[in-house]
Amino acid sequence: MPVPDLFLAMMKEEWRIHSTIFGSAGFAFFPVVVGFFAFAGSLALPIFSDTLPYTAMAILALALFLLAGVMVGSFGTMGREFMNRRFGQASLVAYASRSLPVSERRIFATFLVKDTVYYILLYVLPFAAGFTAATPFIALDPALGLLLFVSLALAFLTGLAIICLLSTLYARSVRLLAGAIAALAIAGLAIVMAGTVPVFPPYAFLLDPGPGPLAVSLILILVPAAASVLLVTVDYPDRTRRFKNSLDPLAERLRAVGSAHFIAKDALDLLRSEGGAGKVIFSFLLPLGLVWVCLRILIRFIPGIDPLVVFAVLLGVLSATIYNWTTEFDSFTAYAVLPVEVSEVIDGKLKSYALANFLPAAVLVLAAATTGGGAGTFLPAFAAFLSVSAYTLAVTVFLCGLSPNVMLYSAGVFLRYILAISPVLLCLIFASLLDPAYAFGSLLLLLPAALLITRGRRKWQAWEMPGY
Amino acid sequence: MIEADGLTKNYGSVTAVNGVSFTVAEGELFGLLGPNGSGKTTMIRMLTGQIPPTSGSARVMGLDPAGDPIGVRRLVGIIPEQETPPSFLTAEEYLHFVARIRNLDRIEERCDRWFDLLEFREKQDVLCKDLSRGTRQKLMFAQAFLHEPRLALIDEPLINLDPIMQRTVKDFLQEYVRDGGTVFISTHILEIAAEICDRVAVLHDGRLLYCGRTGDLAGSGESLERSFLDLVRGDAGA
Repeated sequence: MPVPDLFLAMMKEEWRIHSTIFGSAGFAFFPVVVGFFAFAGSLALPIFSDTLPYTAMAILALALFLLAGVMVGSFGTMGREFMNRRFGQASLVAYASRSLPVSERRIFATFLVKDTVYYILLYVLPFAAGFTAATPFIALDPALGLLLFVSLALAFLTGLAIICLLSTLYARSVRLLAGAIAALAIAGLAIVMAGTVPVFPPYAFLLDPGPGPLAVSLILILVPAAASVLLVTVDYPDRTRRFKNSLDPLAERLRAVGSAHFIAKDALDLLRSEGGAGKVIFSFLLPLGLVWVCLRILIRFIPGIDPLVVFAVLLGVLSATIYNWTTEFDSFTAYAVLPVEVSEVIDGKLKSYALANFLPAAVLVLAAATTGGGAGTFLPAFAAFLSVSAYTLAVTVFLCGLSPNVMLYSAGVFLRYILAISPVLLCLIFASLLDPAYAFGSLLLLLPAALLITRGRRKWQAWEMPGY
Repeated sequence: MIEADGLTKNYGSVTAVNGVSFTVAEGELFGLLGPNGSGKTTMIRMLTGQIPPTSGSARVMGLDPAGDPIGVRRLVGIIPEQETPPSFLTAEEYLHFVARIRNLDRIEERCDRWFDLLEFREKQDVLCKDLSRGTRQKLMFAQAFLHEPRLALIDEPLINLDPIMQRTVKDFLQEYVRDGGTVFISTHILEIAAEICDRVAVLHDGRLLYCGRTGDLAGSGESLERSFLDLVRGDAGA
């Protein structure tokens, strides 16, 4: 099968996966929404330029797209089970090396190219276009739009390539992955010890668009991408996995919480699915680390910023992804033959989420320990984390029910999600710039959160029951 | 046990089931026959409250499936056409999970009975996603009868099972009915209906073409297959 045909088949497949769920028009509108937000956000840049220089905003945007690359890469390499749960035994071209006369490497290389093209068209290009459209109104050179597009694409591809390599290593051997991470950490430490502060290559290219930073950026993309293609193994050995009954002991331990068997099932789903706890590292702890590093950099530009409170707010939003994990391997179809209400399943997920939220809480405590801000900062930060986390979760449940991993790709749902969450985040972050104690005000979010959860349970009960 | 009165289901402009009425008495083994796409699965999904009818009504063990789907599912056992046990539980864990949802006692004893009857004890600690389709179907059989229901609704009961296990399941269903249970099966495999069903209904393009005793449909000296084909082809040509 020629590569161009394979590429086109994968592009069609990716489009159909999304458009089957939301309708072609609904999904086609998604880049327009991204472009609109980039346009509106860019118009607001001058308002914040006194507190947040353009260079700092550029770092944030690049970090966002690096993160998007990480997310797309994680899904691309670990999403098979998700596809199977959502669409039945999904036979995607990417997993078809057994039935097609094409090698795994060629399929995987084409898959990477497809992800590159597809997601640059879906995210990067609309974002850069939105910014470019706003430049005449904010006294910036429209040519900056092209520069931003290239830099954001490089940042996105860096995240995609590195995560593909790491997850390929993980698929081969956990030890290999641990070794690679250790080697990267030692190299990073050596650079820092040598007194040089490395600049993220796509950012360096944005500041100085010359061949040097471009070459370094491309090396950072092409080397891990090529290594992941060389080492790829999608044809996991067929092995029958056997386990002793862990559901009952786990459910017994959780009996006091209620919905114990549902929570125990969620835990087993998460631990036994492809990637196991590694998924959480890729999709949760890694972005958090990135956010933390960005915040430490932003401190240099914004005097008075309390990184712990801002981190807590962002941690609250990211922690809601735990709900996505608890729902990823479940669909209501599995309960269709049992006397179970949708609201019961949602309650179980909420409890699983509440228990798993100890992980981000521990991350916050760790972050507080490294900043050494004391209780005066930690308490408002903790309040902000709890409230934002509860509110984001409630918005997710209300808008997406048991399918956040699917529904958030619908332009309409995504728009409502952003509109419900971003003003709250911005208000909290700017209030905390004035005084970290204002973060206690976030506790007011618990009221709409409770209301949204109550309404969400009712809404999805009426929605899913007749339709699954 | 089951009363369907003018049940109709439309999916957009397509009518999957069109004004179907029939009854199933207690202690019957009733077969719903029809070619692929004739509306059999839609009928089972309406009777078990998984989807509401567009019009018409049904009573299953005295309950309205559209109004009280959970009540119906509490009473009956259901085996769907596509086996969907959760991927990352083992076979044993899944049965325990179902037993906990149904608030059953003597869980070990109930599960043991099914592991032995359907001969898959050696697979009890295997993840559902790693089970063969046949074993998954056995597992779904076990979950449906774990609470010892008086009525079971089964969509394509034998499709993934080997001939030996098909015999075991057919014997079990006949014994279950002799003991007072009621079975409603939907299938396009006519031999099953000919062998075990007391009465059958034939669906074609969502419409009921026949409802009566299996022997009456086959007629004297004719096979059920011949009669079924005549009925369906006659309807298609009409």
